[in-house]
Amino acid sequence: MDANPIVLDDAAGDVVVVVVEGEHDIYTAPALRDRLDEAIGRGGGIVVDLTGATFVDSSVLGALLDARRRAIEADQGFVVCVGDSVEPGIQRILDITGLVPVLPVVSGRDAAIDAARATPNGAGG
Amino acid sequence: MSAAPHVRLTMPARPEGVAVVRQALAGMADALDFDAAVLADMKMAVSEACTNVVVHAYDDSEGTLEVEMIADETSLTVHVRDHGSGIHPQVNQSREVPALGLGLPLIAALSDSFELQGRAGQGTEVRMTFRYARESDPAETNPVTGSVGDDGRWDSDATHGTPAG
Repeated sequence: MDANPIVLDDAAGDVVVVVVEGEHDIYTAPALRDRLDEAIGRGGGIVVDLTGATFVDSSVLGALLDARRRAIEADQGFVVCVGDSVEPGIQRILDITGLVPVLPVVSGRDAAIDAARATPNGAGG
Repeated sequence: MSAAPHVRLTMPARPEGVAVVRQALAGMADALDFDAAVLADMKMAVSEACTNVVVHAYDDSEGTLEVEMIADETSLTVHVRDHGSGIHPQVNQSREVPALGLGLPLIAALSDSFELQGRAGQGTEVRMTFRYARESDPAETNPVTGSVGDDGRWDSDATHGTPAG
């Protein structure tokens, strides 16, 4: 069993959720890029759910920013979400890089799905 | 605090080794009196330093990643060392995992002090010190500036209003 899974959840229909759990760094970044490519290829909105992630580094941020750029170019919504309780290291890297409004990052998967569906440019309105 | 071991790790400079370093770091921290927030910063900064070795040090050849952890009464100093091509900030964009270019700014923001040493052909060493209990947040002293540029690399002069899209 993969301790650091990245799976696609398409239960929301027109928005696919990339569920990222465990620790992710340069080793798992290629797999994350593959999953993000797959999500973008489905043509709808994309949510990256980091609720179950316990560590992400700049390799992961690079993958997310690259996917965000491509989603915007394809006129697809792109939103990152975290849970009510965020792993301190993940909140820290999002805070000090100032990427919360850029990615953007919202709290809760349902809110993220709505945002990805409602804002094709992923900019929150 | 009882004397903490002086830990030295040597491993191939490959992506899968970075998580191993984090595990060793967490184990070392268990023996010390670390604030949880400092431990989180330490894991991030050391991961970024190790990632720099994996991505930049050896071009396409094999090489080693060396990590040394040295504790004293107030802090833990972590040395991350390679024997590669030395400091060369240019990024090899052909890599399977393109670098964002955020590693050193993060190390500066997350460590209480850091030092970068290296010369062409003689490898590079990053030394980061983390205090068990901080009096101030290093991210306020050395904030990460900039944002991602249109080329996908971190641009220290950009603002968050400028990324593509």
